[in-house]
Amino acid sequence: MSLVMIGLEIHAQITELKSKLFCSCRGNYRDLVPNTNICETCCGLPGTLPIINKKAIEYSTMTSIALGCKVPDKIMFYRKNYFYPDLPKNFQITQYNVYGFSSIGVDGSFELDDSKKIRISRIQLEEDPGRIAYVEGGMNVSNSALIDYNRAGVALIEIVTEPDFTNPKEVRLFLNKLSLTLEHLGICDTLMEGSVRCDVNVSMKGGNKVEIKNINSFKEVEKAINYEITRQTSLYNRNIKIESETRHWDDRKKITFKARSKEEEHDYRYFPEPDIPVIVLGDNFVSNLKDHMPELPNQRFDRFVLKYNLSEHTSNILINDKKLADFFESTLKVYFSPVEIANFLITDFKSMIEDDSDNTDYLRNIKVKPEHIAELVKMIEGNKISRITAKDILVKIFESGILPSEAVNNTNSFKIADEKTLMDAVESVFKTEKSAVEDAKRNHEAINFLLGKVMKFTNGRADPKIAMRLINNKLNKPDA
Amino acid sequence: MPKLQDLQAHEVVQGIKEGLFTAEEYVSSVINRIEDVESKVRSFITLDSERALTSAKLIDRKFKEKEDIGQLGGVTVGIKDNISTKDIRTTCASKILEDYFPSYDATVIRHLKDNGAIILGKLNLDEFGMGSTTEYSRYHPTHNPWNLDYVPGGSSGGCGAAVATGECTVSLGSDTGGSIRCPASFCSVVGLKPTYGRISRYGLISYANSLEQIGPICRSVKDIVMILNIISGKDIHDNTSMSSSPITINNKIDKFNIAIIKELIDGSDLEVRKTVYSASEKFKEIGCICNEISIKNLHYALPSYYTLASAEASSNLARYDNIRYGFDLPIAEYKWDTYFSNVRKNFGEEVKRRILIGSYVLSSGYYSKYYLKARRLRSLLKLELLKLFKKYDLLIGPTMPILPFKFGEKIDDPIKMYLVDINTVLANLAGIPAITLPIGFSNGLPIGLQIMAAPFEEQKLIDVSNALENTINIQRRPSLI
Amino acid sequence: MISKDQLGYLAQISKIKLSEDEAKKFPEQLDKTIEYIDILEELVSGDSFVLDLQEIKFDELRDDVIRMSGGQRINKNLTKDGFLRGPKMK
Repeated sequence: MSLVMIGLEIHAQITELKSKLFCSCRGNYRDLVPNTNICETCCGLPGTLPIINKKAIEYSTMTSIALGCKVPDKIMFYRKNYFYPDLPKNFQITQYNVYGFSSIGVDGSFELDDSKKIRISRIQLEEDPGRIAYVEGGMNVSNSALIDYNRAGVALIEIVTEPDFTNPKEVRLFLNKLSLTLEHLGICDTLMEGSVRCDVNVSMKGGNKVEIKNINSFKEVEKAINYEITRQTSLYNRNIKIESETRHWDDRKKITFKARSKEEEHDYRYFPEPDIPVIVLGDNFVSNLKDHMPELPNQRFDRFVLKYNLSEHTSNILINDKKLADFFESTLKVYFSPVEIANFLITDFKSMIEDDSDNTDYLRNIKVKPEHIAELVKMIEGNKISRITAKDILVKIFESGILPSEAVNNTNSFKIADEKTLMDAVESVFKTEKSAVEDAKRNHEAINFLLGKVMKFTNGRADPKIAMRLINNKLNKPDA
Repeated sequence: MPKLQDLQAHEVVQGIKEGLFTAEEYVSSVINRIEDVESKVRSFITLDSERALTSAKLIDRKFKEKEDIGQLGGVTVGIKDNISTKDIRTTCASKILEDYFPSYDATVIRHLKDNGAIILGKLNLDEFGMGSTTEYSRYHPTHNPWNLDYVPGGSSGGCGAAVATGECTVSLGSDTGGSIRCPASFCSVVGLKPTYGRISRYGLISYANSLEQIGPICRSVKDIVMILNIISGKDIHDNTSMSSSPITINNKIDKFNIAIIKELIDGSDLEVRKTVYSASEKFKEIGCICNEISIKNLHYALPSYYTLASAEASSNLARYDNIRYGFDLPIAEYKWDTYFSNVRKNFGEEVKRRILIGSYVLSSGYYSKYYLKARRLRSLLKLELLKLFKKYDLLIGPTMPILPFKFGEKIDDPIKMYLVDINTVLANLAGIPAITLPIGFSNGLPIGLQIMAAPFEEQKLIDVSNALENTINIQRRPSLI
Repeated sequence: MISKDQLGYLAQISKIKLSEDEAKKFPEQLDKTIEYIDILEELVSGDSFVLDLQEIKFDELRDDVIRMSGGQRINKNLTKDGFLRGPKMK
């Protein structure tokens, strides 16, 4: 069975916003005692009014621009009316595309790769509800709901795509690229807990659309879609009709289960929000933002390749990790050697960092700073230490934050370029590795083994070029 | 010298500043008046005389130490009980907010306090502002001081009655479809609904947020101006509020071009019509021109109003689920949606009806039939009025089409009750300012004249009202006091 | 005509429990109101209700600044961890 059509509805918090969307409470509610990050307004106390955050409009407009959407001259907000214990006013202030008023972005497109674009239906700005926790085991068992309004009123950007995806891998690629874009724009840190949610709709062979909600991280999206495709295929094969319904993703059991049918869906009774006038963005609003907003990932990629002469492969690795790309450019400010620094960062540095993978904010908390890398690379290029030595020094810096030159001094790791010392090392190796020497005389590639031994003998400090020359010379001598 | 408690606000401040009496003496006299009449009139839901006297003593101390007592120093204000007052119970005359003590002051309350006013207590209304008689208050109805068997008007009925009887110097009410002007007219006092956006709505417990404004109900035009200037102003807590210029009392008046709205006159009782016509003669006496005109879309105004107001109400009142604040109802045994429904069954009948109608007109399938058409009508009406205001300075008509009526007369038929608002909703739909002035009586029952102006032209309203007030001499005190 | 089912539906989406008395008399009362507002049908429809909308300029909006007002905003029904206890979900 084919002809899968998948569409996405993504909610991304504007984590970079200091305050909430309609009040001045803190935007980052994480790790706070419940119900302490609230005020009269976000609690929905009688008589309070929403006061919209200017920066949120800027950020959501930037998102619209990045996703190729049309941005209107004027925007309006609507009320979406429904009851739920996590909704302080029992309505959500959101946007709606009707009657000549559009939301902050419509009719855009996002390039997935060279051959495919995903159409973006709309982008809207809206508020997050609070959260419900449960005592004793979960929603189905709990005798009461525990409500926390700390998150209520946080700004959300909703991005809705057309059902242009045809397989889960495309979805994963899109979400990765979208995360990167949001991160590059400085709007949303998608790694922060709860900062992104993704609902999916899946239909097969032109059949009914099934909505899957409650997917709480981008990582789970691919799994949920795969499960759903399998489920629908199985039903189809047994000639059972696929109902148009809403299902929930259970990320423990890794299944989707029915939540409510579309017929029972809420009538949200949308109408324009009377407490917020129509907001006039002004003629220069979009162009001003375009001029001042951060680079988009593909713009930065182009710049790395053109300006720094980095390979596409290297640039790709840097761009896909914004923090690393930022680190790279900070390092360049200290010592300008893009190719060398980039290479060092994406190999030795990156692999070392990745070992510390449970620290998601790794680049902020580690002891290695751009200045350290700059100094290290400078020493490599100045032939003062070898690449291998540099890697060891890096470990020491990672542990203690010590300056590279100091570490090199302490461990006596400067490169050995002195031929006499190196000759002693070569002689020593030739004595202990007699069979390898014989091999090397016949098989040229075995020389590398000898070189490796010399490097080991000198604790990585030998200048490889010189050592290689000496080894070759000795091999070619008739009395070796 | 009139009794202390019958003084107007400007006379109170002047009297204290001149040392004629102390704030404590004044406030005590007001409290005495309350003790005399409240059991009959029943204007208040919550009276806070202790706090009022404490505030009064503070004013006296300030005065003694030659400090500024404020533009409203010593003035007692009754506040309609749908305006948030910090730490003073605010019920909206509903059982749902029986135990609700706001944690903040409405912006208008802050302005009053900053200027030395004394908050005396919370005044009765129809539940959540929905009604025209206070019969829908879930506590008790208020009685018209001019005849206790009759309604005082609504929804700010407590305000009208309290000001008429001297139970407070001035009061603040709110007006969504006539809720300031109706009781002011029925109680023979002055009431002003300001231009939409002139007064911050922060702290006003919403019924229909695109239609309502807070406004003063007082015993004279001069007091209206005093209060209006203090509570006006753009507020960062209200994105719909706008800045405005202060109003002054001028003793001269321009030759205004005034139009009487034919439909409003024609739809009124005979006695009302007669009185309004004679008032319009007074306009000519003071040099204005008076002509009769017709407004094309007027008969759609009331249906449009009820559609929009109910729609907004159904959403604004959704928050009352007793989870964050409210009254005592344990959560045990209820599933959440059943809990909500059981909490909300405690709304009164009229509130329930309006919420249901509101949900109906917003529901899919009916949204374009009712809500959108009502919005369209509203736009058309506003455009028509703005065109008229290019030609005329002021529009006038009777505030109420009928005389005050007895309790129970209209309560069984919601439509009968809605028709009471027929003259007043126009100003709310168009967002224009409107004032009501007492102009006479019939069988001892008050009649009011309504004057409307273009947006932010309150100065014109005040100029002509002030002139008219000086010309028309009518009885000012109910026999009750 | 508002049927009993329609009334039930409206009460459901508005989360209001009606008393027996109200369930009996509301259909007629609501009908009268709906009949009254039906006159709006005479009006020509059009999307242009937007003629009278209030506007505000982007520059006049609130800056992104944190301002915590301090003090609890919810006083009832808090658990010792600070959660608000609400009725069960299922």
